[in-house]
Amino acid sequence: MAAVAEPRPLESGVAPVALDPHVHAHHEQGIFRTYIWSHDHKMIAKQYLLTALFFLIVGGLLAMGVRYKIAFPNVPIYGLNWLLPSYMVSEEGVILPQMYNMLFTMHATVMVFFVVMPLLIGVFGNYLIPLQIGAPDMAFPFFNALSYWLYALSGVMILCSFFVDGGAAAGGWTSYAPLSNNAAYNLTQKGQSLWCLGIFVNGLSSLSGAMNYITTVINMRAPGMRMFRMPLTVWALFITALLLLLAVPVLGAAASMLYLDLNFGTHFFQASGGGDPLLWQHLFWFFGHPEVYIMILPAMGISSEILPVFARKPVFGYRAMVWAMAGIAILGFIVWGHHMFVSGMNITLSAVFSVSTMIIAVPSAIKTFNWMGTVWRGSVRFTTPMLFALGFVSMFVIGGLSGIFMASTPVDLFVHHTYFIVAHIHYVLFGGSILNIYAAIYYWFPKMFGRMMNETWGRIHFWITLIFMNLTFFPMHNVGLGGMMRRIADPTQYEHLRALQPINIFITLSAFVLGASTLIFFVNFFYSMFKGPKAPPNPWEANTLEWTLPSPVTLHGNFEKTPTVYHGPYEYSVPGMDKDFLPQDEPLKPEVKLGGH
Amino acid sequence: MNRFRLSPLLRWTLVLLAMFALVSPAAAELREYGLWWTPEAATKGAHHVDNLFVFIFWLTAIVFVATQAVYVWFLIKYRRKRGVPAHYSHGNNTLEIWWTIIPAAIFIGLVIWSNRIWYRELRAPAPADSIQIDLVSYQYGWHVRNPGSDGKLGAYKAQLTAKENWFGTEPDDEAGRDDYQSEGIVTVPVGRPVHILLRSLDVIHAFYVPEFRMYQDAIPGRMIDWVWFEATKIGNYELACSQLCGSGHYNMKAKMNVVSQEEYDKFVREKSKAAAIEFEKKKAAQAAPPAVAPAATAETVSPPAAPAVAAR
Amino acid sequence: MDAHATALIGPGLNPVQPNRMVRFGMFTFLASEAMLFAGLIGGYIVLRLSNPNYIPAGVHLPVLQTLAATAVLVGSSFTCIWGERQARAHKRPTWALFITIVMGSLFLLNQVFEWSHLYHEGIWFNTYGTFASSFFTLTGFHGLHVFIGVLLLIAAWMLSLAGKFDGNNHNFLDCASLYWHFVDIVWIVVFAIIYLW
Ligand code: HEA
Ligand code: HEA
Ligand code: CUA
Ligand SMILES: [Cu+2]
Repeated sequence: MAAVAEPRPLESGVAPVALDPHVHAHHEQGIFRTYIWSHDHKMIAKQYLLTALFFLIVGGLLAMGVRYKIAFPNVPIYGLNWLLPSYMVSEEGVILPQMYNMLFTMHATVMVFFVVMPLLIGVFGNYLIPLQIGAPDMAFPFFNALSYWLYALSGVMILCSFFVDGGAAAGGWTSYAPLSNNAAYNLTQKGQSLWCLGIFVNGLSSLSGAMNYITTVINMRAPGMRMFRMPLTVWALFITALLLLLAVPVLGAAASMLYLDLNFGTHFFQASGGGDPLLWQHLFWFFGHPEVYIMILPAMGISSEILPVFARKPVFGYRAMVWAMAGIAILGFIVWGHHMFVSGMNITLSAVFSVSTMIIAVPSAIKTFNWMGTVWRGSVRFTTPMLFALGFVSMFVIGGLSGIFMASTPVDLFVHHTYFIVAHIHYVLFGGSILNIYAAIYYWFPKMFGRMMNETWGRIHFWITLIFMNLTFFPMHNVGLGGMMRRIADPTQYEHLRALQPINIFITLSAFVLGASTLIFFVNFFYSMFKGPKAPPNPWEANTLEWTLPSPVTLHGNFEKTPTVYHGPYEYSVPGMDKDFLPQDEPLKPEVKLGGH
Repeated sequence: MNRFRLSPLLRWTLVLLAMFALVSPAAAELREYGLWWTPEAATKGAHHVDNLFVFIFWLTAIVFVATQAVYVWFLIKYRRKRGVPAHYSHGNNTLEIWWTIIPAAIFIGLVIWSNRIWYRELRAPAPADSIQIDLVSYQYGWHVRNPGSDGKLGAYKAQLTAKENWFGTEPDDEAGRDDYQSEGIVTVPVGRPVHILLRSLDVIHAFYVPEFRMYQDAIPGRMIDWVWFEATKIGNYELACSQLCGSGHYNMKAKMNVVSQEEYDKFVREKSKAAAIEFEKKKAAQAAPPAVAPAATAETVSPPAAPAVAAR
Repeated sequence: MDAHATALIGPGLNPVQPNRMVRFGMFTFLASEAMLFAGLIGGYIVLRLSNPNYIPAGVHLPVLQTLAATAVLVGSSFTCIWGERQARAHKRPTWALFITIVMGSLFLLNQVFEWSHLYHEGIWFNTYGTFASSFFTLTGFHGLHVFIGVLLLIAAWMLSLAGKFDGNNHNFLDCASLYWHFVDIVWIVVFAIIYLW
């Protein structure tokens, strides 16, 4: 690994990385410093990537368990009975309802906190921010490394919680009190306590990341990289970091109170002690709603980056895109009550939250139309990353439109807590976040690992995923409208749901295929990592700064020489040029003129 | 780029799809109201919800089809072609303004409509002549209290609500003499407003009857008193607890029987007679009722005078 | 940079000094801390508003004594500023920091006494309803922050003893004192809502 020759002079406009003297040590670093306690943002991003992909398997297998139980509530799984304790499975090997509750609780916890957030923010935030703004590293490499290890620690806590007495948390990822804060009700004091601790530590990890991203973006841009010349990924991650900074600590406070209620007998959420069960919901959703935008904004940034590259056309309405994200972020803090329309909250408040919820759909609409505008009159290349990014737009529209139903209080009165909501969740989270994560992995894989992923298998992966995600999640709208509640282990207990059971079986079969399609991705990923064709520095002919570097980027300080930025990131197909892209650090020939905006 | 490389894959997928498509509907024993849509509404206010629902359905369906059709058309029309460069443009502010204003206008209209219904119809105070029915939820079931022939429920005190006295009634309250208590069976007359009082003894549960288009959480420590409905169809429905409440949540249900007025009157007459006898027995048995502790919790501590938060 | 390039890219960014950047990072950190306390304090306010007899009859908080402790803590912010000024003026802030540490520790000591007093009266996390819950949680979280602040100040003090600060290099002290002021401000809010409301 080459070392940087000199600490950069201050005039370069970039702070020297040498906040930690070890980073720029001139000698080869040991294995420990290179792969484990690395301070290099690129290595940290890879650590995040592998860990989060592991958790994707965990979360996905938990989902498979959920689907199995719903479709075949009384069919035993042989062998499970000697693998798992008696409070999880019956003697024959049938998943017990309490175990079912653990499955979806931990499925959601893992997917949200250990898959989507780390992948979008931990991996791509770390990898892209310094490279795309022309910085040698993050502002605080130490906190960056700390952030990864706190994440890993919290992951271990969450995994361990399955093995404690009573099993993992079983109160839903929303952990509504007083079910969650009272061991007599939830039957798993230790599991729920570990959940609180895990979430708290995970929050610390997110916060040290967020501090880093904000400081880096504000202070470490290369000369010429004005705010409105930043790639939209960086904008998205920057705004996301602000959301994290302000939302996550509130969850930390709430989780602390919950922990104290569980273990020290406080009464925050305990009605019989004068506490208020709704307080938990307010605190949780004050965090929880910004959280869902934390999970979608970076994804939106990624597709806003990929669409122009493969449409060979500037992104439509760059500034509108930025303002829309800022609008989503700000409004995101005043809509949390839409999860509580029918929670017993004051009914006038419900009306107020319904207004703000409808308003927040407007910036999403702006973004959707701008994505469509980007492919309009483009020259579209259907590579794998592009397919995923395009698929995202459609799937996000479906998920967003189902949000409109719920934003209308009377309709939410009917669909609240049914599978209609589950359908919404998965269209925005799987169709939104996960599809874009795939897009981003296919797109930046060459830069990260120096090799290309297989295109054919990538496309096969895309089509199977797209088709089966729709077969899995679309019928959930229908069973939801048919009156099927979420979070029930055995729908056949209800007469009015029994008729829906074939649809549930259909969903489960599709979900299995969807899960199996992930295997294609994993094989492609690991095979390409070692055996894929070598990647050129700029395989997609893109403009942003990371593509000016060799693939993979090996230098510890990223850039040999701090780049100077001359124009925005999306100058594709500029008339009068001999190539159809214009890297950000390439000065313009005097005879060529860039368009307005 | 070879676009036809996918065809064997697509064919394979189609076969699978067909398999799936055959499996499920064939096996479905059809419900009265079909599998893919909402169950038929059975209360007076439900059509407000349904109208909104159907409106939003068509709105979103149109938006979806329109946007996706345009999108796919763009993708086909503007796929890469040799010698045809992409158009160089950074956007269009006029368009930007229009596609901000139009959705905003639609959403504002929608939210005004929604809130009118929410306030005027669904959350209007229960009519004075409605029958009050007391529902107390617990892990995992429903205590139900119907008023007797006097049409009045015995008074309820939050402080008395407990595992042993789940309705929190005074043992010598005369209004409660003929109240009929049952487990998991709610009986209401058709065509009369029914006012539901919702409470919980332990964790949050929920009142959910899909045919009524109605959902409401029951919160421990409070009484929810704004739920009311007027059933329009006689039938046996299922009342489901639709808020995760622990290991028995999946099966926490009650019968919701909507009966004719005559049948209801008969039901009340019979039940309240029996209830009154029961009431006298109890009153005699516990001449001096012991003070009831606040709802027992897992904790050993009991705070001084747990203040019950009254209904708002 | 040639003139053409300057014209194209505009004036460019000001060179950022690491010191300023670390301070910037510190502000982002404090913003998140502020939200942590906002959550806890918000919880206190909600619980209190929903309950007319929030502070149970048996509880008497030593308002005057805590007022004195508050004065000490606020005072320590000023001695801390004094220390910062000294460092900036190329003087060793050793004494200023020492006094700040002592004052901070006095505050903590007072809190320990108050907690143990309440404990002996039978008031603890799990008794006396939500008041005690909030009281101990809020003051506990805050006390933990004071404790960490004192540790930071001690570290700064030791750096000062070792002559590590000079007029241009007192970043650690700046950050520690930012943190200290933050802890101080939070306390004023906590004191106001718990003791004075
Ligand atoms: C990435 C995550 C994500 C995103 C982006 C969203 C986006 C939205 N969500 Fe969603 N939501 C969740 C994740 C997300 N949600 C989760 C996880 C839950 C459940 C939590 C739980 O209980 O476990 C939830 C629950 C949830 C509820 C609570 C439901 C209930 O429990 O009863 C509501 C209610 O209002 C809601 C609304 C919305 C709205 C209005 C949007 C909007 O932002 C959507 C805006 C987008 C569009 C509208 C589409 C594009 C626009 C156009 C094409 C323009 C034209 C359109 C029209 C004119 C109609 N969501
Ligand atoms: C980012 C978030 C995310 C993601 C990606 C997913 C992905 C999936 N989810 Fe999840 N889900 C949530 C977030 C998410 N979910 C949330 C927040 C809830 C609410 C929880 C609550 O109520 O508290 C929820 C709840 C939820 C429910 C409702 C449970 C209930 O209410 O009773 C269901 C039911 O079908 C479900 C299913 C699935 C399925 C089938 C997938 C699939 O897409 C998963 C596919 C991926 C894999 C399978 C991984 C890869 C696997 C392998 C490589 C191994 C091969 C596997 C086999 C075929 C065995 N989810
Ligand atoms: Cu009670 Cu679910
Ligand atoms: Cu939300």
